[in-house]
Amino acid sequence: MLSNIIFFTLSLTALGSAFAMIYFRQPINSALSFIVTLLSIAGLFALLGGSFLFLVQIIIYAGAVVTLILFIIMFLNIKEENLPHEPYKGRWILFMSLLISPFTAVLISSINSMEFSILHLKDFGSIKDVGMELFNHWVLPFEMVSILLLIALIGVIVLAKKEESHD
Amino acid sequence: MIDVGHFFILAVLLFSIGMVGVISRRNIFVMYMSIELMLNAVNLVLVALSHHHEDLNGQVMAIMIIAIAAAEASIFLALFVMLFKNARSLDANFFELLKQEKHND
Repeated sequence: MLSNIIFFTLSLTALGSAFAMIYFRQPINSALSFIVTLLSIAGLFALLGGSFLFLVQIIIYAGAVVTLILFIIMFLNIKEENLPHEPYKGRWILFMSLLISPFTAVLISSINSMEFSILHLKDFGSIKDVGMELFNHWVLPFEMVSILLLIALIGVIVLAKKEESHD
Repeated sequence: MIDVGHFFILAVLLFSIGMVGVISRRNIFVMYMSIELMLNAVNLVLVALSHHHEDLNGQVMAIMIIAIAAAEASIFLALFVMLFKNARSLDANFFELLKQEKHND
């Protein structure tokens, strides 16, 4: 019974703040409501038993990625005239929701026709279990992700550094 | 009682909201955050499947997706800084200059 209340609260918060994120005009309001979405998704991970993933979601997504977005938004010093001119934003969102809703309805009806296990509250994604799985069966993808992060680091430095004047 | 299917329905709805955001907005920050929202919906599906099968592979895949999203975030934000330096605008329509001009001569 308690898990029902937690699930519906978190999912309504996630859906509402996700919609607010795509509706706000100022990017800083969008980023702040995106943090709310990410935190409620982290709560859903905890409800599904992934305690390590709950921590990772809060530390990396809400803590690092969105903070980086907020930092860049403040660094760019965005004025009103720098924002794109979107006079028909509400109509666009309404029209695209109508266009996408049939696909969503098909997916939801196909999910409803399947049988799933009832949610049981059990912690099976602790740090030890995930670490054993990661370093026993996922070593090669793990190392490749570390190389990918290094490449991203170098690429960002090359992109963002000041260009030398060629004259 | 809620089951794993409810989590799937929520993930589908979040993915649809993200897709609407990517298509209908022109502010590149909102487009980027919508892409991140779609990645999070996929993560939710993976973790729900991992709960359904009582198998940890789904959670490890979700961790990989989070690491790749962090790498992607840095590249995206460097591109935003460059775009803002060059165009003084956050409008995604700036990239229209990449399209091919028609030669009617």
